[in-house]
Amino acid sequence: MRVKLGCATLALCVAMGASGANAQSGELTIWSWNIAASSLEAVVEGFNAQYPDISVRVDDLGNQQVFDRLLAGCAAGGAGLPDIVSIENHEAEIFWAQFPDCFVNLRDLGYTEELASEFPDFKRTELEVGDAAYAMPWDSGPVVMFYRRDFYENAGVDPASIQTWDDFIEAGIAIAEANPGVTMTRADLNGDTEWVRMIGNEQGCGFFSDDGSAITVNQPGCVAALEKVKEMVDAGIMTAADWDEKIQANNAGTVASQMYGGWYEGTIRSTVPEDQHGLWGVYLMPSLDANGPRAANLGGSSLAITSASQNPEAAWAYVNYTLGTNEGQVTMLREYGLVPSLLSALDDPYVSEPLEFWGGQAVWVDILGTLDDVVPSRGTPFFGDADAIVQAAQTQYINGAFESAQAALDDAASQIALVTGLPIAE
Amino acid sequence: MRARNRIAYGFLAPYLLIFAVFWIWPIIYSFYLSFLSTRAVPWTWAPHMNWGRLWIDPAFWNALRNTLVILFIQVPVMIALATLLAVLLNSQLLKARGIMRFAFFAPVVVGEVAYAAVFRLMFNADFGVINKILTGVGLPAVSWFSNPTAAMALIIMAVTWRWVGYNAIIILAGLQSIPDDVYEAATLDKVSKTKQFFFITLPLLRPIILVCVVLSVIGTMQLFAEPFLITNRGGPGGATETLGLFLYRQGFTVLNFGYASAVAYTIAGLAIIISLINFWLGRDPK
Repeated sequence: MRVKLGCATLALCVAMGASGANAQSGELTIWSWNIAASSLEAVVEGFNAQYPDISVRVDDLGNQQVFDRLLAGCAAGGAGLPDIVSIENHEAEIFWAQFPDCFVNLRDLGYTEELASEFPDFKRTELEVGDAAYAMPWDSGPVVMFYRRDFYENAGVDPASIQTWDDFIEAGIAIAEANPGVTMTRADLNGDTEWVRMIGNEQGCGFFSDDGSAITVNQPGCVAALEKVKEMVDAGIMTAADWDEKIQANNAGTVASQMYGGWYEGTIRSTVPEDQHGLWGVYLMPSLDANGPRAANLGGSSLAITSASQNPEAAWAYVNYTLGTNEGQVTMLREYGLVPSLLSALDDPYVSEPLEFWGGQAVWVDILGTLDDVVPSRGTPFFGDADAIVQAAQTQYINGAFESAQAALDDAASQIALVTGLPIAE
Repeated sequence: MRARNRIAYGFLAPYLLIFAVFWIWPIIYSFYLSFLSTRAVPWTWAPHMNWGRLWIDPAFWNALRNTLVILFIQVPVMIALATLLAVLLNSQLLKARGIMRFAFFAPVVVGEVAYAAVFRLMFNADFGVINKILTGVGLPAVSWFSNPTAAMALIIMAVTWRWVGYNAIIILAGLQSIPDDVYEAATLDKVSKTKQFFFITLPLLRPIILVCVVLSVIGTMQLFAEPFLITNRGGPGGATETLGLFLYRQGFTVLNFGYASAVAYTIAGLAIIISLINFWLGRDPK
């Protein structure tokens, strides 16, 4: 009897605890960017159905601004920081390395090992240090090629026939001929290394080794990636464009394909004009040879709670609802195409629906189908250093300052070694 | 100390306090920081790490070279243009002088972010008006943001556009302080206008031009906003990364405050050396 009574009391306590949590109130501010910010707003309605007294405000500062201001805020001891911040996984480790006190250890708020095990390991490694978990995985970015069906058809190019990067270049030349004013693809060659990272990751190469202990940027996969990028630039099928310029090109109908993480689905769907609906499609990224790997990851973020937050419990309630429930994750997928990293959300019926915008293609089946083949790629606290150095090598190589991609990346590797003190992997 | 002085220092105290906290202390503290390894907490004493790296860091030398390229191309071009502009603005033949002066001075008043955004649009490789004009007259389009040389040229043009009017106004003030009778005497001696410019105007303007050069050199050493905003953080691939941007990147992107401090001291040292050279070159011939 006593045992039963104990259980009843315990159950009551748990129930009270839960209802107590729902009675939380307060205001939360979140920093985020682009469609990620929009999707955080999209879940507020569902969140407020459970927590009516917590109001949420999302500030869309832009990706780089969030990073810069968060670092500055942490350096200033937490001054001016919001309750919740979005952090890109590959940029995350510098925060835990430099400012562990700037963030709340989510383990203390109820992010148990059991909850964490709902996420794939490659999303967790960069967010957890020892027993502490500083952020909760949000989305991932399985890379695919987004393309304009009409431009490809005009040139008689079947996307299924594009298996290698050389096929892609050939198709690009044909498409540019058949569609005056249209470029095959655009890459942020001036301010990013995105294409080198995507093809490199596909070929199993990253800036650093998986454990973050050695520099691997001059390994064959990355060298091949840089070579292909130059071949595409030289063939005239790839020109430079930053994030905004890519969107302008999409809208103006001057680009035939864009390669990005799956999250770009939402960007295309929510920004292109009405008359392009049904004209877009998706196919797997090409590889180096016909049977080569065709999966990579680019981007993908997480949410962290700052120590400056006045109301960490309410912040946790929001983070847990948004990222830890199928309801939250699928809302963001449906509205803005953010790829859930919560494994159970991938079984949601929405994932297998053919989508009208995509010409009836069930794009999420194709995009998420590559997730299992993605090789992890570690950001490390030195990502910012390495990225700037590789960017410089990329620009110099494309403009002919290096004999070969190998020479360019050997030089980059030795510079990264100088800056980080890490050894170059054999 | 006499009572009078004490009272005076009392009145000065609030300012001196703020000056000490927000200027003196950071200057001293950053000098101390430059001897620390700040790659990870806790920061440790490692005097050779940052100062040693400076000598062998290709990214630092790249930033220094970019800054010097701007210094040696942009500053002389701008000062020459400003002098020419000042002479024209001083001309008796000019109508609506007030409006003209304001028009050339106006770029300084425009916010950096606003004019950078306009430059980005104008020089956009696909839709920009500059490339439309170039292709319109049969010249090839230039990828202003992808080609390292073009990007550098763009930065030089932007900075020149912004500051040439400002310098012209300073030089104009100098021109107006040259007494008319000098020119009158020269005209009576049948000295041509061109010779008057080279043998009267320029020598008498020397101290003013020197001030402009020193101000411009200091401004160039600290150049930040244009390459940050127009060429997207010193892009492509660091081709327009100046010392100021390099310092910012070390401090606030990769968070290596120790190295950033060493870079800051180096920039300050270089600015002092270059200014001293300027004054030495511009000294009155004895």
